[in-house]
Amino acid sequence: MNSPSPTDALDPVAASLVTEYLFDQGWSDGLPLVPATEESVETFLAHTDREADEIIAQLPQLGRKASVRDVATHAVMAGCRPEYFPLVLAAWDALSVERSALGGGWQSTSGPAPLVIVNGPIRDELGVNSAGGVLGPGFRPNATIPRALGLTVRNSLGVVPHALEQATQGIPGRWTMCVGEDEENSPWEPLSVDGGLQAGENAVSTILVRTCEFVDNRHFHDPVEVLRDFADTIGRAGAWIFRYSSVGIVMNPDHARVFAEAGMSKQDVREWIVAHAGKTEAELTAVGKGLSRLSDGPFDPDHFHPVFADASPACLPIIVAGSRNAAMSMVVRVFSTWSGRSFPLS
Amino acid sequence: MVGGIIDPTAGAQTRVSVEQRDSPVVSSLDGLRVGLLENTKRNAARILDAVGAALAETHGAAELVRRTKKQFAMPLPSDVLTDLKSTCDVVVIGVGDCGSCSASAVADGIALEETGLPTAVICTDAFESTARAMAELKGDADYGFLLTEHPVANLTDEQIVQRAGRLAPEVAARLLGRRSSGVVA
Repeated sequence: MNSPSPTDALDPVAASLVTEYLFDQGWSDGLPLVPATEESVETFLAHTDREADEIIAQLPQLGRKASVRDVATHAVMAGCRPEYFPLVLAAWDALSVERSALGGGWQSTSGPAPLVIVNGPIRDELGVNSAGGVLGPGFRPNATIPRALGLTVRNSLGVVPHALEQATQGIPGRWTMCVGEDEENSPWEPLSVDGGLQAGENAVSTILVRTCEFVDNRHFHDPVEVLRDFADTIGRAGAWIFRYSSVGIVMNPDHARVFAEAGMSKQDVREWIVAHAGKTEAELTAVGKGLSRLSDGPFDPDHFHPVFADASPACLPIIVAGSRNAAMSMVVRVFSTWSGRSFPLS
Repeated sequence: MVGGIIDPTAGAQTRVSVEQRDSPVVSSLDGLRVGLLENTKRNAARILDAVGAALAETHGAAELVRRTKKQFAMPLPSDVLTDLKSTCDVVVIGVGDCGSCSASAVADGIALEETGLPTAVICTDAFESTARAMAELKGDADYGFLLTEHPVANLTDEQIVQRAGRLAPEVAARLLGRRSSGVVA
């Protein structure tokens, strides 16, 4: 006879009843939730020195707040492991300095999603994926940390679709986007250094994004061809709504390598793209988006409008991640602009 | 709590409880100062201007007081609220034509009415649900906002005049406490 196993006590019928109960309460984002109990929340709170009652997220326009304990509750419900909790807290610290997250972003028709970026040795400790399929499924911290943020917005801040949440379509991958930066295969300093921290320090950054679009360029002969390809995707008219935009790149390690081998720093890449990405007044006018109505207009038809206000990391954040197996990168459309700040764990 | 499961919405369920009251109204707009609080959204100022002009012409409003709410998603800053209270007799607010600014316009209308100022809030009909959700959140679930057809951002000059012509009687009815359909086609 076999000796008893801890899994003998598992009760799938009871688990299913709990799952349905959680759906019935209206607390879910549409996927099954893990029930949060006082005990499980305490287990999460044990992974931070922060006070459980500290307010870490708020929307003044709705008069609603979330405490560290509320965030722990949602981290449990999202399927996080307790040791992920400091990353969830740091993500809220980062979101709290995102002007557009505070200024109605969660209610917006744009339906933006936070892209959470993890730097430092904690990636390996927790199994945060930074390699192949970095934006896709299969990795628990990547999937559950952003989900915890979305559940907090829904339940603690009360921003629920078809009521105070008015996303026109939302974006694919909303509340599922979290990547580790592949620091080991990047020729450059990590994003967290652009965000004001030391290389090698555990850090979380968040960027609100409106969508991702790929740049598949693997048969190039000259790095400038790849830069032109980035500039073309970044400059497309559909994304143009204001005078300037901010756009990030989740850059394939192979693209980063060829730029570095050509002697380019990350800032050199930024400056090249900022100088070349844009549209003429005639091109924008052709799609009904001419800028001549602005106070410094009107503009000649061949006047070149750059996409970017400047070449700072806040306007063009670059994160190296993904597999080297094909030279594809992802352009991420930033909602407003990145705060330019990364946050340590606490 | 059922089965020891935490209710994660417990904190968000606290709604502001306000005393049930009727909206403040005026008996006539004749000689009054009409505040026009625009929210920087495209065409908002032009629509409110045209509504104000119609109120002056047909209802004898004496003065149009133009103000801008710079952060359209956020609560009305207290200095703007104080300013409106001292410079206006009634306030027209709009145009709520986005996810956050429509809800916020309703919150501003309720905040101003709590100080005794009659208000007329204009949102586009695409945002009725979020405008109503904010009214409920503010404890004034029946707050009467006006809906106009979405979109307004791309209306031409001529269309703005037409739209304002249909809105103005509804705005006046709201400020005068008369029954309004709430919907302007």
